[in-house]
Amino acid sequence: MTLARRDYRTVVVGGGVVGLYTAHHLVRAGAGPVLVVDRGRLSAGGSGRNGGGIRQQWETRATIRLAREAVAAYRGFASEFGHNVWFRQGGYLFLADGAAEMARLERVRNVARAEGLDVRLLGVPEVERLVDGIAPGACLGGSYLATDGTLYPYPVLWGLLEALRRAGTEVAYGVEVTGVARDDRGRLAGVLTSEGRVATGALVNAAGGWSGELSRRCGLDVPNVATRHEILATEPMKPFVDPMVVRASDGLYFSQSMRGELVGGLTVPHPPGVDGGVPSSARFLTSMARALLTLLPRLAGLRVLRAWAGFYDDTPDGLPLLGEDPRLAGFVHANGLGGHGFMLAPSASRRAAQAVLGEPVDPEAREFSPGRFLAPGGASRVEGLQLG
Amino acid sequence: MGPNGRARVRFGRAELEGNAGEPLLATIARHGWPNLVRSVRYHRPRGPFCGVGDCAGCLVRVNGVPNVRACRHRLRDGEQVATENSWPSPRFDVAGALDLVFPHGVDSVHGLRRPSWAAPLYQRFARRLAGFGRPPTPAPPTAPPPARTLRADVTIVGAGRSGRAVAEALVHRGVRPLVLERRPVPLAPTTEGGPVAGTELLGSATAAILPAPATAEPAGGSGGLELLGFDDAGGGIRVRTRALVLATGSYDAGLVFEGSDRPGVVTADLAVAPLGLPFEEVVVVGGAERARQVVERLEENVVAVVAPAEISPELARAAVERDVPLYPRSRLVRGVGRGRLRAVELGRRDGSGRFRLACRSVVLAHRRLPNAQLAFQAGARRRWVDVPGAYFPVVDALGRSDVPGVYVVGSAARPSAEAAPTPERVAGAVLGDRDGGPAPAAVPPRPSEIVPYYRELLREPRRGKWVLCPCEDVLLDELERAAERGYHGLELAMRYTGVGTGLCQGRYCLPEAIAILAVLERRPPAEVGYVTQRPPLTPTPLGALASLERPEPSEPRP
Ligand SMILES: Cc1cc2nc3c(=O)[nH]c(=O)nc-3n(C[C@H](O)[C@H](O)[C@H](O)COP(=O)(O)OP(=O)(O)OC[C@H]3O[C@@H](n4cnc5c(N)ncnc54)[C@H](O)[C@@H]3O)c2cc1C
Repeated sequence: MTLARRDYRTVVVGGGVVGLYTAHHLVRAGAGPVLVVDRGRLSAGGSGRNGGGIRQQWETRATIRLAREAVAAYRGFASEFGHNVWFRQGGYLFLADGAAEMARLERVRNVARAEGLDVRLLGVPEVERLVDGIAPGACLGGSYLATDGTLYPYPVLWGLLEALRRAGTEVAYGVEVTGVARDDRGRLAGVLTSEGRVATGALVNAAGGWSGELSRRCGLDVPNVATRHEILATEPMKPFVDPMVVRASDGLYFSQSMRGELVGGLTVPHPPGVDGGVPSSARFLTSMARALLTLLPRLAGLRVLRAWAGFYDDTPDGLPLLGEDPRLAGFVHANGLGGHGFMLAPSASRRAAQAVLGEPVDPEAREFSPGRFLAPGGASRVEGLQLG
Repeated sequence: MGPNGRARVRFGRAELEGNAGEPLLATIARHGWPNLVRSVRYHRPRGPFCGVGDCAGCLVRVNGVPNVRACRHRLRDGEQVATENSWPSPRFDVAGALDLVFPHGVDSVHGLRRPSWAAPLYQRFARRLAGFGRPPTPAPPTAPPPARTLRADVTIVGAGRSGRAVAEALVHRGVRPLVLERRPVPLAPTTEGGPVAGTELLGSATAAILPAPATAEPAGGSGGLELLGFDDAGGGIRVRTRALVLATGSYDAGLVFEGSDRPGVVTADLAVAPLGLPFEEVVVVGGAERARQVVERLEENVVAVVAPAEISPELARAAVERDVPLYPRSRLVRGVGRGRLRAVELGRRDGSGRFRLACRSVVLAHRRLPNAQLAFQAGARRRWVDVPGAYFPVVDALGRSDVPGVYVVGSAARPSAEAAPTPERVAGAVLGDRDGGPAPAAVPPRPSEIVPYYRELLREPRRGKWVLCPCEDVLLDELERAAERGYHGLELAMRYTGVGTGLCQGRYCLPEAIAILAVLERRPPAEVGYVTQRPPLTPTPLGALASLERPEPSEPRP
């Protein structure tokens, strides 16, 4: 893979949904030439391995705003990019199985309502109507937003990639970034790649689960940690559950895909780190099955078709890093999106593009400022709803 | 169980009777060729195809559990059996009209998105069509059958010919191996004979998950390998073992042509299985030993033998003895008929002729492919072998794969043309013999046969649907679209089309997809790549998996 040029206005590292969307925003703003590089192939990262959950229920107002903007973008994706992403707004249902969870969901409801979202708290009978066959006593109630939903992730990637290529933007898979070059005033001057050095004034770190590794390769210490997350799909069935269902206590989640498969995951402890590739573990399969059957015992005879794993990057406060790094002018973060990078990609990447273009950032985006971990005491608050 | 070992089950509105314990499919097949289900997207008629419990051709609902394979389910008195994914019946399914309305299929990537306000309608519609059976009927909560944990120094998966041979050699050396076999035991009389004395044989036990040793949990101090599986009652099985010998054998490949998904097109595995399907007017596809077995089995019901290449003298003799005409160097272009095959169209490979043969079945006996998925799941390296056109695990002269402790033997390890180590030497290696002796002579590579076959076939004009992946109704056109748009390699093609993501876990479509992609992308099949072998390698009940869950190691034990 050889690159077409030796200098670009911006180099985006990572050809997942965040990198492609960032490039799209930049190109649309006329800020080319942009180069997107990815050391893997299309959909090798988290963007090709996720569950397609899209929600707006959050404890943090700024995140709710990102999510709302993203939902609008995905609603219009098919007409904008000519690819059907099957964005089905079947709702998100968070289940509380204890008083603490119920209180947390109430908080979420209040914040979301203040943002104008029609989040409702549901009692057990309403939950039973939404989740046919839920075990008696499995929950105390839940919170529900009908406009949340799920989509099919791959067509998002294809639509973005094809649009970028049509616009003449270079997207190079199989090219790795190993570091940056600085000018004599310490500003970003170029990017070191497996295809040699490329001159650029801006780099966007959209390397997903490997963003911490990339920042450190460029001499920037960041708190992002790579987290392995696993997910499974069952045999396909006729539709029986519309919303994405998430249990607040253990992070169990599942939804039924357009193909009828139940697709779901669970937060199981894994040693952090990205070593050893991304094979699935037996432990996940057994824990996930156990957790799912406590909620829906009727599914005991249903079969699991396949399981897979991927990486994303978590931050200590559960909020992303969006914007320029105060320590290196020209180095822009579009990462730390955790298990929610797909649902936030359209809007999060717009914030990153704004930072590249030097446009004023929205006031609420300050919560995502990469400098917040540099201040003594670090970040002040933690997003509580980092599930599903 | 009813009187005299008989069992009666309700099947829709009818009542069927058979021998308790026989495959449900055999019971149903006594009443004619079974068309049990419709396909997921276009509701095309489907019938039994593989006969070994992997395809989606004989799914039924049994006692409220969807997607049960009738060929694997054992008949039990009083069960309620129903057909799936069709209304009012699999023979006359209203939604089947879709297949006619969209003769070239629906492009779900670019289509069904306008007008945008209609998206929820398309979605509801598409969801209804998808998904085979209804979800399981709520049953009174029963505790899952308890999991069984077995420990053995040596475990063999597969009680076929090679598994038995290695088991015998181990017994001879004073070792008692554990043998897992997916079929029930005592085995139905097969060419392989009964169980081996001196082994611990566990029947109706399917091995499904073999994590790569690096990701396996620290195995309770014992080290070694952990294999998970389940039995036919839905109970989980955990095996702890030092050495694992995979003797999982091989299977008969599919073949793509127009209408290759029609009921009546089956593999040789199905044709020789003791399922009692009423075969008549059979066209056998293949030129060698497997096709000969089918001819001997189906006798006077065979109306023709069609071979993509030459026909072996033994097969020719068997056919001529029965007055069966031979069509060497020919290809299948089209299967005619909707609910059931009525005829096939053949073409000579040199383009010199076109025939139509009346027939009710096509039996595919042209290529046998290795069942090596467990080894791949564990991380064994693979090598592409042009004939038969499949990935085999890399094993050394003693059957050792590059995953420590994992051996692969028999037809799962190498194509028949390659010399295999003797069972005694494999047993010796498993028990620690270092001396490998001379390596079996390498077989000179043969050029691919399947790639030129598909290269010619793809030039044929296409009228109806060419279903590449019958589990998910993926069409050949979709694979072409992926290649045209630059989504090259099997990994991307799988994501773009869904090929390989269905119930058979890609067993029947991926080998064909690789050969076809080699043609479309103009590069050798080995460069098309492969996909990650994801666990479980056979659909595994949630109940079985849950029963295998252990408490967190840190949790205090009660
Ligand atoms: C199993 C699973 C389920 C999930 N479910 C959901 C969900 O339901 N909803 C949701 O919103 N999110 C979900 N996520 C999270 C979501 O997938 C990610 O947050 C999102 O895809 C991140 O996109 P990205 O573009 O930032 O990263 P990625 O898609 O991971 O892309 C990063 C890319 O960077 C490349 N790269 C890394 N380092 C370098 C380097 N040095 N040089 C060049 N290239 C490099 C990698 O090859 C990779 O392709 C899930 C994640 C997983 C794993």
